[in-house]
Amino acid sequence: MASVYIPVQNSEEEVRVVLDQLPRDASDILDILKAEQAPLDLWLIIAREYFKQGKVEQFKQILEEGSSPEIDEYYGDVRYERIAILNALGAYHSYLGKIETKQREKEEQFILATQYYNKASRIDMHEPSTWVGKGQLLLAKGDLEQAFSAFKIVLDGDRTNVPALLGQGCVEFNRGRYSQALDLYKRALRVYPNCPGAVRLGIGLCRYKMGQFDKALMAFQRVVQLDPENVEALVAMAVMDLHTSQGPGVRRGMEYMQRAFEIYPYCAMSLNYLANHFFYTGQHFLVEQLTETALAVTNHGPTKAHSFYNLARSYHSKGDYEKAGLYYMASVKESSKPKDFILPYYGLGQVQLKLGDYRSSLSNFEKVLEVHPENSETLKVIGHIHAQLGQTEKALDFLRKATKVDPRDAQAFQDLGELLISSDTGAALDALKNARGILSKSNEQPSVELLNDIAVLHFDRGELELAERSFREALGDGIWKTLIDSRPGSYAISSTASVHWYKDKQLFHQLEKDGFLVELPWRKVSILFNFARLLEELHKTQDAVMLYRLIIYKYSEYADAYLRLAAIAKAQNKIHSSMEMVSDALKVNEKCPTALAMLGSLELKKDDWVKAKETFRAASEATDGKDSYATLSLGNWNYFAALRNEKRAPKLEATHLEKAKELYSKVLAQHHANLYAANGAGLVFAEKGQFDVAKEIFTQVHEAASGSISVQMPDVWINLGHVYFALGNYSLAVKLYQNCLRNFFYNTDAQVLLYLARTHYEAEQWQDCKKTLLKAIHLTPSNYSLRFNAGVSMQKFSASTLQKEKRTADEVRRTVSELTNAVRVFSQLSAASNLRIHGFDEKKIETHVGYCKHLLEAAKVHCEAAEREEHQNRQRQELARQVTVAEDARRKAEEQRKLQLERRKQEDELKRVMQQEQHFERIKEQWKSNPSGSKRKDRLHADDEDVSHDKRRRKGGKRRKKDKSSKSRYEILEEEADMIDDHEEGEYDETNPSYQENLQHEERENVQDAEGNNSPELFVAAGLEDSDADEETAAPSASATRRRRAWSESDEEEGQVKSSPVREKSTENQVEREEGERTNDED
Amino acid sequence: MKLAGVKSVERAHEESVWTVAWIPPTDSRSALILTGSLDETVKIWRPDELDPVGTNTGHCLGVVSVAAHPSGSLAASASLDSFVRVFDVDSNATIATLEAPPSEVWQMQFNPKGTILAVAGGGSASVKLWDTATWQLIDTLAIPRPEGSKPSDKTGSKKFVLSVAWSLDGRRLACGSMDGTVSVFDVARAKFLHHLEGHSMPVRSLVFSPVDARVLFTASDDTHVMLHDAEGRSPIGAMSGHASWVLSIDASPDGTAVATGSSDRTVKLWDLNMRAAVQTMSSHSDQVWGVAFRPSGDTSSRGGGRLASVSDDRNISLYNYS
Repeated sequence: MASVYIPVQNSEEEVRVVLDQLPRDASDILDILKAEQAPLDLWLIIAREYFKQGKVEQFKQILEEGSSPEIDEYYGDVRYERIAILNALGAYHSYLGKIETKQREKEEQFILATQYYNKASRIDMHEPSTWVGKGQLLLAKGDLEQAFSAFKIVLDGDRTNVPALLGQGCVEFNRGRYSQALDLYKRALRVYPNCPGAVRLGIGLCRYKMGQFDKALMAFQRVVQLDPENVEALVAMAVMDLHTSQGPGVRRGMEYMQRAFEIYPYCAMSLNYLANHFFYTGQHFLVEQLTETALAVTNHGPTKAHSFYNLARSYHSKGDYEKAGLYYMASVKESSKPKDFILPYYGLGQVQLKLGDYRSSLSNFEKVLEVHPENSETLKVIGHIHAQLGQTEKALDFLRKATKVDPRDAQAFQDLGELLISSDTGAALDALKNARGILSKSNEQPSVELLNDIAVLHFDRGELELAERSFREALGDGIWKTLIDSRPGSYAISSTASVHWYKDKQLFHQLEKDGFLVELPWRKVSILFNFARLLEELHKTQDAVMLYRLIIYKYSEYADAYLRLAAIAKAQNKIHSSMEMVSDALKVNEKCPTALAMLGSLELKKDDWVKAKETFRAASEATDGKDSYATLSLGNWNYFAALRNEKRAPKLEATHLEKAKELYSKVLAQHHANLYAANGAGLVFAEKGQFDVAKEIFTQVHEAASGSISVQMPDVWINLGHVYFALGNYSLAVKLYQNCLRNFFYNTDAQVLLYLARTHYEAEQWQDCKKTLLKAIHLTPSNYSLRFNAGVSMQKFSASTLQKEKRTADEVRRTVSELTNAVRVFSQLSAASNLRIHGFDEKKIETHVGYCKHLLEAAKVHCEAAEREEHQNRQRQELARQVTVAEDARRKAEEQRKLQLERRKQEDELKRVMQQEQHFERIKEQWKSNPSGSKRKDRLHADDEDVSHDKRRRKGGKRRKKDKSSKSRYEILEEEADMIDDHEEGEYDETNPSYQENLQHEERENVQDAEGNNSPELFVAAGLEDSDADEETAAPSASATRRRRAWSESDEEEGQVKSSPVREKSTENQVEREEGERTNDED
Repeated sequence: MKLAGVKSVERAHEESVWTVAWIPPTDSRSALILTGSLDETVKIWRPDELDPVGTNTGHCLGVVSVAAHPSGSLAASASLDSFVRVFDVDSNATIATLEAPPSEVWQMQFNPKGTILAVAGGGSASVKLWDTATWQLIDTLAIPRPEGSKPSDKTGSKKFVLSVAWSLDGRRLACGSMDGTVSVFDVARAKFLHHLEGHSMPVRSLVFSPVDARVLFTASDDTHVMLHDAEGRSPIGAMSGHASWVLSIDASPDGTAVATGSSDRTVKLWDLNMRAAVQTMSSHSDQVWGVAFRPSGDTSSRGGGRLASVSDDRNISLYNYS
C-alpha cells in the first residue's frame, strides 16, 4: 500500500499518510502540510492522488493552496515544485476548457489555464514542462501554429521530451501531415517504449490516415492489448472492420463498438457509428436516440456533422423531407468543408429536389460533383435537374458524361435518350437502344416505358416494322393480342354495322363470356394507344379500331381514343360518326382543344361555316391562344371566308385576309418554325398579288417540308405551283403539281390534276391538257365541270390547229374528230343539265355546242380541202409512180434493144419528169392560194346572217354583242364556280379584270386585223378567246377552293396525328421521371 | 395461297391502262385478256406470253371499261364519250353501238347466262340493262332518290353509279356509287331491294363471290374492302391494308381469296378465312386500275389460276395463282 511520509518539523518523526486513505476533507491534510512545512513535491503527490481518486475538489484545493502567494514567499527558492504545481493546475484547466461545451465557460477555463502557465513561466522561462503544457493548451484551443512553436521550443532544447513529441505529433496530425506525425510518435515510442497505449493510438491513427490499414490495425490491437479499455482504439478498430462492409467484418466491428460503448457511452464517434448501423437495420428510433446523445456529448464539428447527417437520413428515409432538410442543413453547416464530408450535401440536394427547390438542389449536387467529379449518380441527378429547369443542353452534357463514366448504366442511357427525344431522335434512339442492350445483357427485363420510347422513336423515323416489334415487346401478352392476331372472326362481324358500332360493347362482353380475360393495365394504355396509331400507319385500320375500342371499353375517359376513331371515320368520309365520336371526346373534357379543333374541321367539311368559326374560337380560347393549331384554323377560316363571298365584296375580303394574316403572324411569332403558319402567310401574299414574296415563302417552306420525313405537306407543293403558274413559269408549275400528285396523293387527286391541266392549257399544250382532264374525269366521274373543261380544251385545240398556217390533212382530220368529241361532250352536258345533275347554265353549253358545231363545219370544209389536197398529192404521187413504172418498162425495153443509146434517152426522160414536177408545183401553188377564198366561202355559208355591205357597222354590232355576252358569262361562271365545290369565288380576282382587258385588247386587235384582212375567221378566233376566258376563271376558282380545302384538311389531319403521339410521349416521360426520382431517393 | 409473277408487258398501251377482263375460251382458242386504255384503244392478249392478238380502235376519249360475254365470242368496251361498242372477239366486227343519253357509261358486266349486259349509268343514278340478242335497252334499274330531296337538290350526283356486279345465279345485281352506297336489285322484278351500308367514299369496284350468291365484296376509296351479305344488309366484315383507294377487286374462282388493285400501286391477295392480306405485289409503279382472275372454265392452260392486273404505268402483269 503506497503511502507518503510527511516529515514533522524539528523532529525525526514523520507522519505517514496512506494514499488510499486520504481524508475526505482536504483541509486536514493541508493543515498538516502547512504546519509541518512539508516539501512541495509532497503537496503535488497528494493532490495527484486525490485527482486519481476522482476527488477533483480536494485536488484543486491543495494545488490552489500550493500555488498561493504565501507559498511563493515561503518556498521562494523551491522553483521546480512550484512550477509543477502551476503546470498541473494549468493542465487541469485546459482539460476542463477542452471538454467544456459552453463557449463562455470554455474561454474562462482557458484563461485560467493561461494564467497558471504564465505564472509558471515567470518562475522559470525555460522549464520545458511549462512549454509542453502551454502547447497542450494551445492545441486544445485549436491554435495549431502557436502550439507547434511551443512544442518546438521544448524539442529544440530536448529532442527526447516525450510529452513534447506527443504534442507535436498531435499538431502535425491535425495539420494533416500524417507522415511527420507518425515520425514524431515513433520517436516518442523509441524514447519511452513503455509509454501508455495512447501513443500507439496516435501511430495507428496516422497509419490509418495514410491508408496503411494493416499497420494501423496492428497498432490499435496493441493499444487494446495494453489497455483493454481504450475506447478510441476499440472505436478505431470497429470503424475499420465496419468499413470492410463484409458480413463478418461488420459483425466484429459492431462487437468492438459495443464494447467501446459499454466502457464509455459518451463517445460521439461510436455513437455515430452505432446510429449508422441501426439506420441500415432500420431501427430509426435507436438512430435518433444515439445521434441525439452524440450531439449532446461532442463539440467536434465533423462528428456533429455526422450525427446530424444520421438524423437527417433517418428522417429522409421516413419521408419527412422538411425535417430531413433541416438536419442535412445543420450537418452541412457543421462540416463547412464539403471535401471532408460530402454525404449531407447529396442528401440535402435530394431533399431539395423532392421539395422542388431545383436551384438549391443543383448547387448542392454541384458541390458533390466538385469532390467526386466522376460520380455517375450525381451526374445523372444534375442532368435531371437541368432538364427540369429547361436547360436541355447542359442536361445532355451531364448525362452524356454519366454514360461515359459508366457505360453499363442503363438508367443513364435511358435518361439521356429520353432527353434527346425532342431534339435528336437518332441519338435518342441510339441511347435508348444502348439501355435496352445493357439490360438484356444482364438478363433484366427492359421497362415498358423504355420499350415504348424506342418504339415511338422508330415510329417517328418511319421505321414502322421495328416500331411494331418494340411495341409488341412492351405490350407483352394480353387481350389485345387475341383481338388483332388471332382474329376472332365471329366477334368482328357486326362490329361495323351501325353508326354506333364504336360504342358497341357486345364484342367485349362476348369475349369475356367466352373465357377471355379482357384486362388492360393502366400503364399499358398509352402504349396500346401508340401501337394502335402505328397500326393505322400500317393501314391495318381495322386492328387499330379494335384497340381503340378496347381502350374505350376499359377506360371510357380516354378522349384521345375517341378522337382517333373520329379521325378514322373522317378519313372514310363518315362525317356523322366522326362528329359523334368527337362529341363523346368533348363529354370527357369539354375544353379539349384537340377535340374542338377536330369538331371545327368536321363542321367545315359539312359546310357549317358559322359553327366552325365558333368552334375554332373556343379551341383557341381553351388554350389561351397558345395552341397554334386552333389559331391556324381560325386563320384558315378567315382566309376561306375572304374568298367565299359570292358577291365579291372587296372590303370584306380585305378584312378577312388581313385577319388571316394577323393570325398566321401570331402563330409564327410563337413558333418560328411553324410551316403551316408560314404557308398561310405565303397564301395571303399570293392572294394580294405579291407573288415574289409568296414564292420566297413557299420555296422556303417547301425546302423545309421536303427535308423532313415526318411532315406531310402537299399544300406547299401546290401553292408553289400556283405561284409559278401565276408568274408564267409553266414547266416548273407542272413539275411541282406532278411531284405533289405522285408523292402525296398516289396520283388520286383530281383537283391537282385540274391544276395540271390548267397549266398545260395555259402553256397551249392542248393534248396534255386533254389527257390530264380525262384522267381527272376517270378519277372523279361525277365532276361534270371536268367534262366541260375537257370539251373546252378540245375546242381550243381544234381552233388553234385551224388557225395554223400549215397543217396536214391528218391534223385537220384529228381536229375534226376532236371537234366531234367536243360537240358530244357538250351535248351530253346539255342533256344532263335537264336532269339538273350539275349546275351549268344550259345556254352557256348551248353556246359552246353551237360554236363547236360551227367550227366543225368550218373544219369539215378545211378537212375536205385538206383531203382534196392530199388526194391530189396522192394522185400526183401515183402519176409519178406510173411514170417511173412506165419509164422502168421502157428502160428495160431499151436495155434489151438499144443499150448504146441508153444514157441519152435517160436524160430525156429525166427532163420530162422535171417538167412534170414543175407542173405539179404550179398546181400546188394554185391550191395554196385557194384557202382564203374557201374560207370566205365558209364564213358565208356558216353565217345565216345577212352580210350587209357596211362591214364596219356589222363588226361593231357584233363586238357589242360579244361584250354583253361575255359579261353575262361572267355571271354564269360565278355560279359555275359555286357548283364546282359548293364554295366561293376565284382567288386571282385581279386576274379577272386583266383577262377582260386581254380579251378586249385581243378583240381590238382582231378588229384591226379584220379591217386589214377582211378575214371572217378572226371573228371566230375572237369568239374563242371569249370562251377561253370562261374556262380561265372557272379553273382558278376551282383551284382556289381546292387549295383551300387541301390546306385545311391536311393541316388538320397533321395536327391531329402529330399531337396525339406527342402528348402520349410526354405523359410517358412524366411517369418515367417519377420513377427516376424514386430510384434516386433510394440511393 | 400464293401469287407468282408470270409475265409483264411494259408499255402495253400508249397511255394508262384502265380496265382488264378475261375473255372465256371458245372451242377454237383458249382464254384471252382484254384491256382498255386512255389511248382510246382496246387490245387483246394471249396468255401466258401476253402476245398481242389485236388492237381495236374506234373509241374516242379513254376506254373506261371492257367486258366479255360468257361464251367468249363477244365482248364490249366503253369509253368516256359514253358509247358502248359490242364486237366479235375474233373478227373485231362491230356488232352494236349502244348509248342511252344522257346516261354515261362506266363499269359493265354480262350476266352469267350471257343474256343481259348491265352498264353502270353514272350520273343517271341507274343501271341500264341491254338485251344481248336484240341489243335493245330492256330496263333501267334506278336507285331511288332519298326521301325528301328536292329535284333541285344537287345530291343527284352523289348516287352516281360507278360499278355493277351480277350475283352467281344472275338473280341479283349490285351497283356501287360515288357516295359509297351499294344498291342491290332484284333483276327479275326490276326492283330496288336495299342499300348496303359501310362505305362513305366511292365504290369503284364490286364483285359477287363465285361460290356463294349472297356474298358480295366491295372496294372503296376509303382504303377498305368489305364483305357483305347481299340479302342481309349487314356487313360481314371489313379488311384494311391498302394505303390509298382500292380501285378494283376480283374474287378467285375457288372463292377463297380476293385480289385488289389500289392507288397505292400494289396488288394485294386476301385470304378470306383469315380476313387478312396474305401477299402484296408491287410490280406496278402507278395506280392499279384493274385486276381480274381467269374464270374457272378454262382447263387448257397449265395448272393454277391466273390473275391479270393493269395500271396507270401502262403495263400489264400476269400472275400465277395457286
